[in-house]
Parts: sequence; structure tokens; C-alpha cells
Amino acid sequence: MISDTMTPAQRARAKSNGEPIDRLPCNPNIGNGIARIAGYKISEFNSNSDALADAVIKSYKMFGMDGTRVFTDLFLIAEAMGAKVNKPEDNTADLEEPAIDDISKIDDLKVIDPYKDGRIPIHLRAMKKVKDEIGDEVSVTASVVGPFTNAFFLIGIEKMTKMLLKDPESVHKLCEISLKSCMKLTDAALEQGVGVTISEPLSSCTVISPKHFRNYSAPYLKRLIDYMKSKGVGNIVLHICGKTDPIWDDLVDMGVNVLSIDDIADLKLCADRVGDKMAVAGNVDPSAIMYAGTKEQVRKATLKSIKEGYMAKKGFIIMSGCSLPVEVPIENIQTMMDTVREVGWPVTDEKLEKLMAITKYE
Amino acid sequence: MTESQENMIKQLSDAVLDMDEDLTEELSDTYIKNGYNAFEGISKGLADGMNRAGVMYEEEEYFIPELLVCSDAMYKGLDILKPHLQYSENDEKMKAVVGVVEGDTHDIGKNLFKIMLETQGFEVYDLGRDVPPIEFVEKAKEVNADVIGLSTLMTTTMDNMKVVIDILKEQNMKDNTIVMVGGGPISQSFADKIGADGYAPEASKSARIAKELVSKLKDSKLN
Repeated sequence: MISDTMTPAQRARAKSNGEPIDRLPCNPNIGNGIARIAGYKISEFNSNSDALADAVIKSYKMFGMDGTRVFTDLFLIAEAMGAKVNKPEDNTADLEEPAIDDISKIDDLKVIDPYKDGRIPIHLRAMKKVKDEIGDEVSVTASVVGPFTNAFFLIGIEKMTKMLLKDPESVHKLCEISLKSCMKLTDAALEQGVGVTISEPLSSCTVISPKHFRNYSAPYLKRLIDYMKSKGVGNIVLHICGKTDPIWDDLVDMGVNVLSIDDIADLKLCADRVGDKMAVAGNVDPSAIMYAGTKEQVRKATLKSIKEGYMAKKGFIIMSGCSLPVEVPIENIQTMMDTVREVGWPVTDEKLEKLMAITKYE
Repeated sequence: MTESQENMIKQLSDAVLDMDEDLTEELSDTYIKNGYNAFEGISKGLADGMNRAGVMYEEEEYFIPELLVCSDAMYKGLDILKPHLQYSENDEKMKAVVGVVEGDTHDIGKNLFKIMLETQGFEVYDLGRDVPPIEFVEKAKEVNADVIGLSTLMTTTMDNMKVVIDILKEQNMKDNTIVMVGGGPISQSFADKIGADGYAPEASKSARIAKELVSKLKDSKLN
């Protein structure tokens, strides 16, 4: 097996200086699967910052991916604002009850105190610990859910969805208070010395129209991005699930530096169309390939993604299309990393085709 | 059908498509007051509007919020038309188990299918949404169902339909149970491929096919 000759931090630095690197950056985007890797129950991450930090660190040590993230689920901010979250013993948390059941109660919503509310203090302590231990080698980030997506969790997904058509004014009010909480989490994460990434899944064109994105999501997302930049965040990393091609240009305009796209989005098209304006990350299928595929299928899919994305002028990061399912086989994550190492540097079409023609695992 | 009834049915369909809940409600009231047939109002009016909304969704003119509000309008109309449905009477009630397959929580199609089955004289056991394959089979066994109706809107969950059929085969129930499949991504060729007995693009037609298939199956046993 080929091993890395650079740490992720060295690789990132060399890349930004235009110097040679040992391989393309790769981040399999492991979600709560870190619990399986480090031997915890997922619910331990809700109360034990040491467990959460340890799982992030162990996962990094096992795979050497280019980026670590202290992340358990999308409901951190909503919960801190009063939503009830169902927390199974060993599965990912889910929204049980929104913070308010009617828009008339919007004044009950309070902007979060990240040092006091919900599970955020646990996460903050974990961030600090991960940063202290491996922060010199690899980027450590907190995941901030986008203001629009978080607004859905405040009033309930179905209610909010209908409000887009029936009550625009209230949607804006919810997004406004949601944004303020997103900024508070950003502040607190940056105070721990870690970076931030944004997940804005409900801004997907699989869910809402580009028109609704521009009306309701974009203004608040833009303000969050501007805020992060004003606080010194150099690289704005954003993930949106599902279909996103109608809004790629919007994302460029609002200052996104790295866009992580889902497997149903066309990576080649993305790299061609906006790859000279932002780096592109993606987009191996997290379910059919990473979860259910064989090692060889993971290898081929990873090679295919590299072929489609590596010409992106602003950079390309191999990633899963979305957070990996909890029970993804560890050997598949390893295979994704190994494949990127197998490709090495420099990357050329000829090399990729040659590798593509070989079957390595079956 | 008279021209004025046809005209009203078209308006019902349009009102659902246009997401106009109040108009759908008003039209449904007038439709019933005029003494028109409720079944046609549902299948050719309300459900047709919803089907057209589905097409708009596929064409990326409509998105999830638009579909949700269309379905609200459809349900407003259903609440008014449904009590006026005439149910066909059978000596021996046919039984159906319906549900949305595991992994999917969209149930508009399933709900329509259920209503249409009821008009055809079925007693319907509704398992709801996100139903694991084995539960369809267990319920069918428990109530001695003639029909299992499987619905999904998502390509990712289609395979669970085949799982249900495979379990039925394993348990030697396939020959006595009609399996109907339906939903956005489902086609006749998919139904054929997984060995389902029936498929129709619309819930009303699908319910009629279900009844025919059950009658045929029962006849073949008598002979």
C-alpha cells in the first residue's frame, strides 16, 4: 500500500503555492460512522465531548483524509433554539418536534448562546480537543447548518415548505433569526480555533425551485458567508445535496470557494462550468457505491470522479456525494483513500485510463 | 357525461394543479350539489390534477412545495367528494393490504389507490408509509388478503417491491395474492420485470385492474 508523504496541511499549503503535491486531496466525508471506527455508541457524542473528539481523531489516524469535521447531525442549532431532537442510542439523531408549532409563536424563538444551549457546548469542547491534538496536521472544522435549512427545523419541514408559497414574510422572519444563531455558532467555533463549513441541504433544487432559493435562501446564505469572511475564514466550503446545477453561478457570486456536490449532480459539468471560479468536491455515490458497493466498484467510481473533476482549475477534492451512512464498510472508505494514493501525482487522463483498465480487487 | 359535468371536472383538475385550495373546495361543493358522479370527479378531476402536477414536477416546473400545496387542494376536494362515492357490494368482501414501501414517505398515490379500491368493494388495510417488505406479507397472511398494493415515488426504493414479491414466493403465497405496484418511477416494464401482477399509471385504473385480477384468480380456482 502506498502511503502519503505529506500531511493534509502540507498538501494544502503546497497546492495553494502551486507546488507539486503527493496526491489529490480526498475526504470520504464520514458522518457518524466515526462511532463504528472508534468503538462508541452514537448517543455518546451527545453528552461526551471526549468521545466525540476521540472518534474524529481515530478516524483521521486510520484514513489520513484531508479534513476532519466535528459533526453528528443537522439539528444542533435548531435544538439549541428549542426544537426537540430524537436521539437514538446508536443511530443518527432526527428532528422530533420543531421549536415552534405556529408562526404566531415566532417571538418565542431566541438566538442561541452556543456556550450554554443544547449540545453545542459538548461540540465546542470536542472541537478544541481535536484542534489541539491534530490541528497542525489537518484542517478541523465545525459544521454550521445553513440559515434556510435550519429555519425548516424551527417551524417544521412541512409547514415551512408550504409557507414558501403562502407566507413569504414569515419565512424571511424565520431565516433572519436562524441566521443570527448560525453566526453565533460560527463565532464560538472560530473561538475554539477550528474552521467552519456550511451544510445547506434544503436549498437543493431537488426540493425547492431556483426561484425560491434566490428569494429565501440566498440572501441569508450570502450574509453568513460575508460574516464568516469578515471573521477571517479564508475558504468558504459549502455542501448542498441533490440537484444544484441551476444555482452554481449564484453560489460563485455569493463567494463560495469550495462546493461539495451530491452524486446526482454532474461533476464534469460542474468542473467545466464553474471549476475556474471555485474548487469542486465530489461526488462518489455514498449509498449505492460506498455503502453497498464492492471494493472494486469503489475504486472505479473514485477513478471516474477524479477523471471528471481533476481539471477544475481552482482545485478538486475527491469526496463522497454526501455524508456516508453509518454502516458503510470501513474497507470501502479505505479503498477510496487508497485509490487516490494509487493515482498519485501528477494526474493525467492516460494514467487514469490505464488504472481504469485494471481490476485490482476482484 | 354531460358537457357541463365535463367542464366542471376539468375545472377541478385545474384548481388542484393551480394549488388553489379554496377554489377546489368550492368547485367540489358545486359538483356534488349538481348531483354529478363522485367517482368521476375524483378520478378524472382531482386525481388528474395531481397527476398533472406530478408531470410538472418531472419537468422541473414544480418542486416539492408546489406538490405539497397541490395535494392539500386535492385532499380538500376529496373530503367533500369521498362521502358521495358509491361502493359496490360483494357477498364476500375482497381484501387488500396497501402501503408505501420502506424508504419512502410520500403517500399521495397510495391514498388515492386506497380510496379507489374501496369504491371497487375492497376492504383495505392501510399500513401507511415507509413499510418494511416483511410487514406487507405478514399483514396479508393475517387478514388473508387478495391484493397487496405497493407504492413509491422514489427510484431508490423501487427494489423493495421486488423484495416483497420474493418473500411471497418463499412463503408460497404468490399464487394466491395479486401484487399491484404503482407510483412515479414505476412502469409496466418494471412491473413485468419484478413479477408484479398489475400496474396502471393512475390509481383509479389500477383499482379496477386489481378487482379484475382477483375475480379471474377466484374463477380459475373454481374451475
